[in-house]
Amino acid sequence: MRIVVTGMGVVSPIGTGTEQFWAAATNGVSGIRKITSFDASGQRSQVAGEVAGFDPATFLSAKYIEQTDRFTQLAMLATKLALEDADGLDTYAPERLAVSMGSGMGGFATFESAALRKFGNRPIPPFTVPRTMANSAAAWIAIKHRIKGVNLTCSTACSSGANAIGIGLDLLRTGRADAVIAGGAEGCVLPLTMTGFEVLHALATGSNADPARASRPFAKGRDGFVMSEGAGILILEKEEQARLRGAKIYACLAGYGQTCDATHIVMPDMSGQVTAMKGAIQDGGLGPESIDYINAHATSTPLGDIVETRAIKTLFGDRARDIPISATKSMIGHSIGASAAIGSIATIMALHTGTIHPTINLDEADPECDLDYTPNGAREKNPRTGLCNAFGFGGNNASILFTTLE
Amino acid sequence: MDTADIEAKVIQFIAAKVENLDVSTINRSSKFEDLGLDSMDTIQLLFDAEDTFGINFDSEEAKGFSRVGDIIAYIEQHQASAQS
Repeated sequence: MRIVVTGMGVVSPIGTGTEQFWAAATNGVSGIRKITSFDASGQRSQVAGEVAGFDPATFLSAKYIEQTDRFTQLAMLATKLALEDADGLDTYAPERLAVSMGSGMGGFATFESAALRKFGNRPIPPFTVPRTMANSAAAWIAIKHRIKGVNLTCSTACSSGANAIGIGLDLLRTGRADAVIAGGAEGCVLPLTMTGFEVLHALATGSNADPARASRPFAKGRDGFVMSEGAGILILEKEEQARLRGAKIYACLAGYGQTCDATHIVMPDMSGQVTAMKGAIQDGGLGPESIDYINAHATSTPLGDIVETRAIKTLFGDRARDIPISATKSMIGHSIGASAAIGSIATIMALHTGTIHPTINLDEADPECDLDYTPNGAREKNPRTGLCNAFGFGGNNASILFTTLE
Repeated sequence: MDTADIEAKVIQFIAAKVENLDVSTINRSSKFEDLGLDSMDTIQLLFDAEDTFGINFDSEEAKGFSRVGDIIAYIEQHQASAQS
């Protein structure tokens, strides 16, 4: 039984909707700007990937807006787009439809504004908890679309979206659902959350005057990741049922690998990453020699990009240099729990269109990052298989394998 | 704020809680349940009013509210006493 992707929805700093997102990605457009959603003059990192012009009133009623955090609203727009793209999930019973969402932080915009009120001795809104809880996006997707089957939220920091998609694969394989809305959402371009990452020295702080250059995975002199927001949603179905209803099929979701470093709460460990990638490839019934493309986790932190490079070299050996790799985060920054869901869409589009998007801002690579990262320009490679990597705090490693239908 | 302003604000808060509600049908005698407000919506409505009008509802008294006019009357009374 093969599991296939029949719909996609993306909301990102470089575009909303797969078409707009993919056009920008293949043209190497940066979505990183000076922060506009709050006064960031006191932040060490003053740039971010915001979804400019996002207006929930264009697709949600006042009731939904009042009761939902921004991350849920981003998720709901991506879901709307994905369901329209899949066109026809109403052929399934509501109890056979599942939601599997990922979010690293949850409704932190709500949490931060409520904290400000509370510490200023002002009352906080009654919906503070239901807006903040990490599973609120999944719950509201279910309410809006009457999806009554399994409803799960995975929170594994930066790998949340990847695990949510992997769990979606398992739900279909084990027969717990007939179709799954799977992906991730994050809305934490926020002062307290960003300061939390700043004090870990995780964010880029040296490019406040030149935002588009701030996120530069694998490049010499990179100094951290750029916070961003967004959502990515996949519609997953069993191939047989998708064909029966005449759905268009983008790609197969062929495998999922998942490991924990079990070494350090924030520092990555190479061996866990190798095992996750290997696990995804084996789960899809392939070997490392079959991998044509890697959508890297590649956040632009000094250590992370080197460790991922070493992991790829360890798993693929001499072939590592022949595999085109690209870093979606070079253009959109790091949208934490949404990042691997958006990276998955980039991977699927590479298989679907034959084009691999570039890693931008890669004029001079770090000598320790010496693979083919598709620097600065898209490439026609017609990959038939692609891995999407996601590595999160907590030593959490996830890798997802997508293949073409052949 | 005069009565008309208070009424307009309260109606605006209610409209944000119920899907497809015709605001022209809301008046002081409208019952919360008839408008489709559930208990959580009512709690949020009281919060909106407290936050906007700078008042605090007595929770025991607020439990007895069942109509739009109950809230408006309370706001009028307590806003006036806060100003006097």
